[in-house]
Amino acid sequence: MSHDTHHAPVASKLDLAPERSDLGLYRPDRTTGLLDWLTTVDHKKIGILYGAFAMFYFLVGGVEALAIRTQLARPDQAVVTARMYNQLFTMHGTTMIFLGVMPLSAAFFNFLVPLQIGARDVAFPRLNAFSLWAFVFGAFVLNASWLFEFGHLAGWFDGFAWHQALTYTDFAPANGWFSYAPLSGTFGQANAALQSPRFTGVGTDFWIIGIQILGVASLAASFNFICTILNMRAKGMTMMRLPVFTWMTLVTSFLIILAFPAITVALIELMFDRQFGANFFNPSAGGQPVLWQHLFWIFGHPEVYILVLPAMGIVSEILPTFSGKALFGYPIIVFSGAVIGFLGFAVWSHHMFTTGLGPVPTAAFSLLTMAIAVPTGVKIFNWLGTIWGGRVRFTPPMVLALGFIWMFMCGGFSGVMHSSAPADSQQQDSYFVIAHFHYVLLGGVLLGLMAGLYFWFPKIFGRMPNATIAYIGSGLVILGFNLAFGPMHYLGLAGMPRRTHTYHAGNGWEQWNLVATIGAYILGIGVCIVFGNLVWTALKGKKCSNDPWDGRTLEWSLPSPVPEYNFAQSPVVGARDAFTEHKHGSKRIAYENDGGDAGVHMPSQSWMPMLAAAGFLFIGFGMPMMSMGVPHAGWIVITGVGVLIAGIWFWAVEGPGGYMLKTPVEGPAPADRPSAATSAH
Amino acid sequence: MSQDAAHHAPTSTGIDHKKLIMWLFLASDCMFFGTLISTHLLYRKLYPTGFTDAEGHQQFVQKLFNIELTSFSTFILLMSSFLMALAVSAMHKGELKSFRRNVLGVIFFGLIFLGCQVYEFTHFYHQGLTIQNSVLGSTFYVLTGTHGTHVAIGILWLVLMYFYSFTGKLGGHVGALDVEVAGLYWHFVDIVWIIIFTAVYLVEYLGPSGIWGNGLPTIAK
Repeated sequence: MSHDTHHAPVASKLDLAPERSDLGLYRPDRTTGLLDWLTTVDHKKIGILYGAFAMFYFLVGGVEALAIRTQLARPDQAVVTARMYNQLFTMHGTTMIFLGVMPLSAAFFNFLVPLQIGARDVAFPRLNAFSLWAFVFGAFVLNASWLFEFGHLAGWFDGFAWHQALTYTDFAPANGWFSYAPLSGTFGQANAALQSPRFTGVGTDFWIIGIQILGVASLAASFNFICTILNMRAKGMTMMRLPVFTWMTLVTSFLIILAFPAITVALIELMFDRQFGANFFNPSAGGQPVLWQHLFWIFGHPEVYILVLPAMGIVSEILPTFSGKALFGYPIIVFSGAVIGFLGFAVWSHHMFTTGLGPVPTAAFSLLTMAIAVPTGVKIFNWLGTIWGGRVRFTPPMVLALGFIWMFMCGGFSGVMHSSAPADSQQQDSYFVIAHFHYVLLGGVLLGLMAGLYFWFPKIFGRMPNATIAYIGSGLVILGFNLAFGPMHYLGLAGMPRRTHTYHAGNGWEQWNLVATIGAYILGIGVCIVFGNLVWTALKGKKCSNDPWDGRTLEWSLPSPVPEYNFAQSPVVGARDAFTEHKHGSKRIAYENDGGDAGVHMPSQSWMPMLAAAGFLFIGFGMPMMSMGVPHAGWIVITGVGVLIAGIWFWAVEGPGGYMLKTPVEGPAPADRPSAATSAH
Repeated sequence: MSQDAAHHAPTSTGIDHKKLIMWLFLASDCMFFGTLISTHLLYRKLYPTGFTDAEGHQQFVQKLFNIELTSFSTFILLMSSFLMALAVSAMHKGELKSFRRNVLGVIFFGLIFLGCQVYEFTHFYHQGLTIQNSVLGSTFYVLTGTHGTHVAIGILWLVLMYFYSFTGKLGGHVGALDVEVAGLYWHFVDIVWIIIFTAVYLVEYLGPSGIWGNGLPTIAK
């Protein structure tokens, strides 16, 4: 076979003759440069790409948020039109959730999970690359709706017949991040072209197909991670020795594979309504719009935990490290995470208390929602127990993690208020709800993710972020965040409705809206400083040791940046917090000499995952163009399906490839080198 | 290919990666079909009378269904599962010829099932049930159509595998595993059809309007 020559171990991939795949084509084999980043199957590089795209989309979503806040700064303003305002808040929510938080969590999954379990890669390296590119193309499709919107505003489409035939011309999604039917759907009878009249423009079609593609990316990644965590643990790494972050990745991945099918079906049904005149949510034909709410929230509530559990995992790694103690109540923290995962599927209707479910379901969902506060509270008390009596070291990640606990608790308290159905019917669709979920998702999740970035950046790039700038940035984030969202509790209780383009003076809302806007700008500056510091660190930051924080888990036993093969020799783990035990305890990490003469098996790079994912690009543009009435747009969709199938076929027959890499085994294991932090103890 | 298998370290659970990921996919697909079937059943409960035909008459689905034909195609699909099991077994024993014979049988039976579905869709369409004219039409065509798509993907997979077997690269432990994973998918799609056949077709014949009851109630025109 063609890659037989690749079974002689080499010191570097570049020592090898170009490898031919079973297709007879040369496989990409660069280790640097653009070609490498486009074809990589290395989980660490894929993680970095996820992180870079996520941070970019955080800024996009942030600009949208600032536009919203600018519009609301004073009463009776018209900074943006009402039509544009609808598009802004829809894309802000969608961007932050699907293109900001989820991929940033995925960046951590990718980079950390194999390192934490002592593996050399994920179970399916090429599938991992496919997830990344499907996410990138899905995100592009979703945001390309803005390009169409600007084209429309600039008058580029004015001469076209299809453009003149459109009733609604919002090209970017404009129906809220949950796209409630019937607003997002259809009404009346389908015409000869199988299309029913609609309430919104093709922005909704961009949203439908964009979320669908992102769903495929998340599902593929989650299958991969569950497989990796269950199957690729190092010797001795039992389930109850897994780092908590890895545990939370496992729970999150299960939530994704069980919750995303519901939204997939809901999106398919909505797509059939809009494109082919079906009646799933069409009220004039007997469709029930409330079914959309049920299907959406069966996905949507687990989604909340999909967003928050990774951040909880990150915090559970940071607090023990900087308290110099083992995590208090490890088994109960893991168990609580799993219980949150289970209960997350049983509370969706608390988003629908005002739809008239009837007293019994309302009471049941109320009760279950209150119950979910229990495992969450258990976690918080365990984190406090971890800090209690510890020798706390204040560092940027620790400060952000403490901020996470405090802000997340505030969001949790208002969440318990929502769980009471009578109170919720007052708060529904008011700014109180905005305040609540921003405390959970921004004060909670974003602070947690930022803490994780500052914690693991020294491992990812081998460079230490500047602490002073980090403190200034985090301080501004926490200050600006509370200024922006604290007053919204009051605004909501004072009756200010959600998704309002503007408001009249004299309602008592002027002062706090202005404060909120000022806070939002401070928050924006803070986020730019935090992210800017990280970008600067990645490029020019001060080099640091391999274990600058006195870390507790396996990834800190590796050199920074981590070599492509991760572990020169596979670790054999004897305890939870394996690296701490190795450095300070009695149970040292043993190493299997599997990277010696025979070398370790490395997967080959491939173009095919990206080729397959590129099919989604065609589908993603074709479907909304079909909906616009652009002639022959259906062929773009068919081309996309063809590209997808061809990509998968070539992927299958090119074979996994691979080569044997000889890893350096001489000298002491990196763990035995004393680091500055270790000697301080 | 078989050399590659040698490099794979034994997995922590003892289950091969490919088999585990297929089980996870199937778990996810359970939720997928569960949502579709729920949608159909909810609307059936809400609108028990079915649909309005082209002449404006209320029609019951029992008048639409050809239960003999659907039972036949169900039986064919079940038998394809039997052949799939034989194909997997043949591959484990390394009997490539027997594998090819059985896989061709699976493909053939799958195509018969799809043919029956195409006939059924055409027939129902001419009877007046369209995706646009009723909620029943929407849920029925999308649910059974999605299942049909799963069958079609399975057929495509097996056809590609059949031709791939002539390159000589399908064999050994890895080949047997690949076939077994395809088999898991195929069996799952069959089991889903058993549930759809029961929930969408058979239950319509229970109760007062079914064959065990007093016949269909009359509806004033």
